[in-house]
Amino acid sequence: MTLDPFTTAGLVGLSGALLGIGLFGIVTRRNFILLLVAIEIAINAAVLNFVYFAAFASNPSSGLNGQSAAIVVIGLAATEIAVGLAIVLALNRIRGSINVTEATALKL
Amino acid sequence: MPLLGDSQVSLADWAFLALGAVAVVTAAASLLVRELVHTILWIATFFVALAALYFLLEAPFLGVLQLGVYAGAVTILLLFGVMVTRKRIFSREAATGLRPAPIAAAGLAAVVVGAVAVEVGGVAGLPSSPQPYETTSLSAALFGTYGPWLWLLGLVMMAALAGAIYLVREGRE
Amino acid sequence: MFLQDLASWAFLVPLLMVLSFVLVGFLGPYLKNWREGGWIAVVISGIAMVLGLLIAAGEMLSPGRYTDLHTTWISVPGNGTGVFPNGFSLVMGTLVDPISALMLIVVNVVGFLVLLYSIEYMQHDRGLSRYFAELSLFLAAMNGLILADNLLEFFLFWELVGVCSYFLIGFYYEKPAAASAAKEAFLVTRVGDVLFLLGIFVYFGAYATAGAAGGWAANGFLFVHGTNPYIPIGTGANPTLLTIGGLLILGGAAGKSAQFPLHVWLPDAMEGPTTVSALIHAATMVAAGVYLLAVASLFLGFTAADQFAIVAVGGFTTLFAATMAVVNPDIKRVIAYSTISQLGYMVLAVGAGFTMVGLYHLFTHAFFKALLFLAAGAVIHAVGTQNLFKMGGLRKVMPVTWLAFFVGALSLSGIPPFAGFWSKDDILSSLYGTLGAHPDYWPFFLMAVATVFLTAYYIFRAFFLAFGGDHPRDDSLPHGHDPSWIMKGPLMVLSGLAIFAGVFVFIPGFSNLLPGIGVPPTYTVTDILLSAMSVGLAGLGIGTAYVLWGNGRVFTLPDDSPLQSIRTVLLRRYYIKDAYDAFGQRVIYGIARIADFTDRFVIDGAIHGAERSFAGLNRRMRGIQSGVVLDYTAYVVAGLVVVLVVLLVIAPWLLSMWGGT
Repeated sequence: MTLDPFTTAGLVGLSGALLGIGLFGIVTRRNFILLLVAIEIAINAAVLNFVYFAAFASNPSSGLNGQSAAIVVIGLAATEIAVGLAIVLALNRIRGSINVTEATALKL
Repeated sequence: MPLLGDSQVSLADWAFLALGAVAVVTAAASLLVRELVHTILWIATFFVALAALYFLLEAPFLGVLQLGVYAGAVTILLLFGVMVTRKRIFSREAATGLRPAPIAAAGLAAVVVGAVAVEVGGVAGLPSSPQPYETTSLSAALFGTYGPWLWLLGLVMMAALAGAIYLVREGRE
Repeated sequence: MFLQDLASWAFLVPLLMVLSFVLVGFLGPYLKNWREGGWIAVVISGIAMVLGLLIAAGEMLSPGRYTDLHTTWISVPGNGTGVFPNGFSLVMGTLVDPISALMLIVVNVVGFLVLLYSIEYMQHDRGLSRYFAELSLFLAAMNGLILADNLLEFFLFWELVGVCSYFLIGFYYEKPAAASAAKEAFLVTRVGDVLFLLGIFVYFGAYATAGAAGGWAANGFLFVHGTNPYIPIGTGANPTLLTIGGLLILGGAAGKSAQFPLHVWLPDAMEGPTTVSALIHAATMVAAGVYLLAVASLFLGFTAADQFAIVAVGGFTTLFAATMAVVNPDIKRVIAYSTISQLGYMVLAVGAGFTMVGLYHLFTHAFFKALLFLAAGAVIHAVGTQNLFKMGGLRKVMPVTWLAFFVGALSLSGIPPFAGFWSKDDILSSLYGTLGAHPDYWPFFLMAVATVFLTAYYIFRAFFLAFGGDHPRDDSLPHGHDPSWIMKGPLMVLSGLAIFAGVFVFIPGFSNLLPGIGVPPTYTVTDILLSAMSVGLAGLGIGTAYVLWGNGRVFTLPDDSPLQSIRTVLLRRYYIKDAYDAFGQRVIYGIARIADFTDRFVIDGAIHGAERSFAGLNRRMRGIQSGVVLDYTAYVVAGLVVVLVVLLVIAPWLLSMWGGT
């Protein structure tokens, strides 16, 4: 497989686009579950970058670095989903809704 | 530079472009559809597309991990979240009114992310073929050099587990 | 030999008193039947006294010996360069030498007797355990001070002694006069203490930079720096620095020993219990200043300029304090002024180079001054006033007290063969011997001689006013009676010492504690004439007092006498305290008001202004805090955007502007 600089731009563009979609979702969606989905998209954009640069690393050990980092990030993301869903359940029980704009207890 | 019609573009490149398009479309769709269950379906597709990309980039272990953790576990968890927070599973989400600050931020973010992509994409000199790795060497790195990080990740997971149990336990108001 | 070996155990003396302090302080309140622990303090201080006397006896048997035991406290390694190329260390330890053995006798004998006396004297007071605990702590500190083997340790105990003095002057802290007297004593002596500390620094610096004697500094201010302890090391150091150091040490001594111009606190310190006045403000603590000068002259050495300053301060204070004692109506204050005056004699002697003579006077003075104070205490205990003009006729009802006061007064006046005669005469004749070489000492010699007359006059004035006549001048006073044996015992022991302490130096062994004094007694014709003159002056003083005040007479200056104005000046204490008060009120209070203004309007103004502007900012900013998570995420994203713009756009642009890559 050959990838020239053009394709490189394309791939980084892909992860950039995914990150943009994720950020868009994070700031616009009010449903907590959608928020979690948007976060997952953003995180996956980052993981994709790790994997991509690992594949084209100039030496093997830094390639392993990239893949190892990707594994750690995937683990953390899975953890985050677990906690996030726990919050969803708690929020649902307390407020009867999972609309994040209604949880304004942080207000001064 | 022309995006298509370049005689140098190989089959793998075509596959990459196709999978990337699928990823972008499914990601956008998962956030734009009105029904939460459809969101879950779209995001599952997105995860699978990414897993395919990982295989394409010579990272088969990560691909499998992506399939198992994301396409499998995370999707099920999200579905579970939808199920326990709704009386009827297929119910439409209320129309999303947009707040001014998020919109502005999202717009800015889109502009900047595009700029970053162009900026970084201009970097040349990367090797022309992906570096294949034995999964065993990845395993050695993971449990050797990155052992402490793995331990740390395990601890974080334990803490998250305890936190999640604390959050959902009965009798808490 | 057992006695000589005891010097290594000298540290037990202060430790015993610390034990007493702890026991009495913590258990005292539960021991009502033992005078709230007072008896514990008496017994332990008795043990300490016996130990101190045995150690002193050991020193008497081994002339010229010193025993230094110390451990390193702080060690600073050197790095081969700088002021201390070999580093230096600070040590803590005990040094038993002739003069500290002498001081052990003074402090522990007087301390024990005063504690015993207090058992009865203080019996009606509240807070007895506090009293006895503080006295124990004081004795511990004083013993530590005299056993200190280096300047820094000396200073630590010096401060501890000062704080004990503060506590005890303010023992009746509910009395405003006592509380303010305690503060005054603390603050005035603090001036001296700061000077003393600066003096330590200067000496340290002087010897640290002097190559030859640098060992003194490297060994942590140790007094002992040779085989003979009493050779000053003042060689190799910058003489200007040594002079400054000596003057600063003199300042410290003047604060503690109430020498002019830091004398104001001692008369006011009489607000404390009389026993405290006897022990601390007459016999021991105020002598610490003299002891410091003695130690400094023996171990460090004074320059000629220092010596003149010390002689001047001592000589002037001698006469100056005596004049104020002449008119005072308060029995304790008369004795207090006499203390200042007598300390002046000691300072004078040490300054003129006769350190041992000064310490000799310290030794005798401690006994007769403690005796005078305790006798005065018995009088106050019996009649309930300190005003001499209300007393009278006490001779008949308090014969033992009368006799004790009489002995003390004779000793103070310098009538042979009482103790005071020998030491005071020694000072005068020694000083006279230096006048040939130092004609500038003449005025201070004359002051010292004049003081002999005044001393005899004022103390016998007090004596006649209190004990003479047939009946009290104020009929409302209770009829006095002699105290019980607990108070009479110490009076009698001290009377004996006030008679005989002066001739102790003619005992061969004892004279080892004061090398060069007494043995052999060689008196020239000049000495005898001088003695005759001073005894004659003292007799004249006693005679004048008898004519004016004897047999119940009360001498009153006619209103139009020119002496009235002098009397007023003396009663107002030369206006020095008023001047200090005015200084405090005008200058210090003025500075305080400027500081207050600055604090209120400049500093607080800035702070309040900042506070107000932040409050306004806060009011505007709190609108951002909507509590909606989405808004917060938007800000995070905006922040990310800013970072990216700086990183990718602005930073490369700036780099290209400066020609970077």
